[in-house]
Amino acid sequence: MNGASHRLVQVPPGVQCFLGDEARRRRSIEERVVAVFEGWDYEEIIPPLFDYADVFASQALLPKTYSFVGRDGSLLALRPDFTSLLAKIAAGRLAGRPAPMRLYYSGEVLRYEPPRAGRQSELYQMGLEHLGGDPRAADAEVLAIAAECLDVLGVSGFVLALGHVGVFGGLLAGTPLETATLERLRERVEAKDPAGVREALPPGVVPAPVADALVRLTTLSGDAPVLADAERALAFCPPARAAVAELRQVAEALRAAGLGGRLAIDLGEVRGLDYYTGLVFRAYAPGLGFEVGGGGRYDTLLARYGRPMPAVGFMLGLDRLALLLDRQGARPASAAAPPEVVGGNGLGPGLQRAREMRAAGVRLRFEERS
Amino acid sequence: MSLTIALSKGKLLAGAEDLFRKAGMPFPASEGRRLVVPVDGLRFLLVKDMDVPTYVEHGVADCGIAGRDVLLEMEPDVYEPVDLGFGRCRLVVARPRGASAATGASTVRVATKYPRVASAHFLERGRSVEVVRLAGSVELAPGLGLADCIVDVVETGRTLEENGLEVVEDVAVSSARLIVNRASYHARREEMSGLVRALEKARTA
Repeated sequence: MNGASHRLVQVPPGVQCFLGDEARRRRSIEERVVAVFEGWDYEEIIPPLFDYADVFASQALLPKTYSFVGRDGSLLALRPDFTSLLAKIAAGRLAGRPAPMRLYYSGEVLRYEPPRAGRQSELYQMGLEHLGGDPRAADAEVLAIAAECLDVLGVSGFVLALGHVGVFGGLLAGTPLETATLERLRERVEAKDPAGVREALPPGVVPAPVADALVRLTTLSGDAPVLADAERALAFCPPARAAVAELRQVAEALRAAGLGGRLAIDLGEVRGLDYYTGLVFRAYAPGLGFEVGGGGRYDTLLARYGRPMPAVGFMLGLDRLALLLDRQGARPASAAAPPEVVGGNGLGPGLQRAREMRAAGVRLRFEERS
Repeated sequence: MSLTIALSKGKLLAGAEDLFRKAGMPFPASEGRRLVVPVDGLRFLLVKDMDVPTYVEHGVADCGIAGRDVLLEMEPDVYEPVDLGFGRCRLVVARPRGASAATGASTVRVATKYPRVASAHFLERGRSVEVVRLAGSVELAPGLGLADCIVDVVETGRTLEENGLEVVEDVAVSSARLIVNRASYHARREEMSGLVRALEKARTA
């Protein structure tokens, strides 16, 4: 027993195993989402399951990364996200390919997550990255693709909540704050907790108009008129104002394209992954208490791998989509009709018969005896 | 579908009722045995105070009322748009009266219902800590030798005094907060913002 304290059928926490209707539903969701990605001319990349640990750029994911020492002593990590890997591939293996590049992936990421709402250690993500090209056009394109995926899956009542990390960043640019204070502030803005933002502000460091604007971010969410409110509230701060202008441009393009009813503006959406530099968004739908996916713009990440280029991407969580569709009452992908049974012909002739039927595309069950 | 609101059956219930009545909103009649109570187009869940954030984070309730003390401990990923102002109390470190700060040598033994808050409080100050997690009657622990000190909420300080304890440090101030599920906030914006506005108005009225 090697002193193992568990039974062999026991499952370690955080891992999942799917069968029957659940497995069929997941496969069907994946096929439909991937078809949308292909339909917008994105090319599949199947990246490695692990890579050198320093390839993965997100500091926030670092404590959640399963890392280990390779045979040659190098520090390796199981992929905690795909974006870093695709950026590395775009800058390395695809260095000669002209921008823009449209790439997608579908597979598991591994993270150490304490058990809580909607989180597992093994997550199945389907996502895409739009590297290079006109930034606003790319922003609008990936949002339209995200909306199409959710439409194709039959998700009802979904909303894409759009924010911009440049609002928070712009307001605090040049203000000397300790990292811990900055993170605390960001977290309280994200929690839409005006009292908490006030409390997290160190006295006398942040100018009063900036402090007021930070508090205001907790309530600047909703329909399009929020953008006008934001422009007024942030008028004194050109970088924050520029961020809102970017959001407006993207939101107006999507509205003109018929997606207005799917949008929400949320200027308190400031957290995201730490490599995000611009637009950030999350997709919500009634029936699931947390987002089914999200994404954002990361204009400085590619430079890390030696090929500076603006980029934007998003991902949908397969686990969350399956849960959401179940809660919204979508019928599971049904099992196929019962197979034809091949039997009673003797092993050799029976196998021959089965092969002929398979060549004709018949679904069968082989029940010969030797 | 009506909005679902999670309330704690504990000490915040009376304050919540006052506020809902002031806002002209329905509220479940005096505490019965039912734990899911539909009233005039709203659905109320009556649960334990530490569980309110869980119901809301998972989206089983669209929103709820929880003390900040509970939120600090549970760290739920929810929105906290309104400080409702009632249920004010302090989270404090309390020790037997007259005990010197050096008691317990290098590692502080602390009894508490708030293990996360308590350990973070001491670790952030460079103190090693051993947390003794209790579900109630935390004030007894130092007197019985279970811990050097406690981290707990105090309103008036009477209970501490009766058990021979005194406050030596403040950890946080607390009051009741409206918490809202992130998906409900966006996907059911109209109903949700109506409720947030009504409670905000009632609070300042």
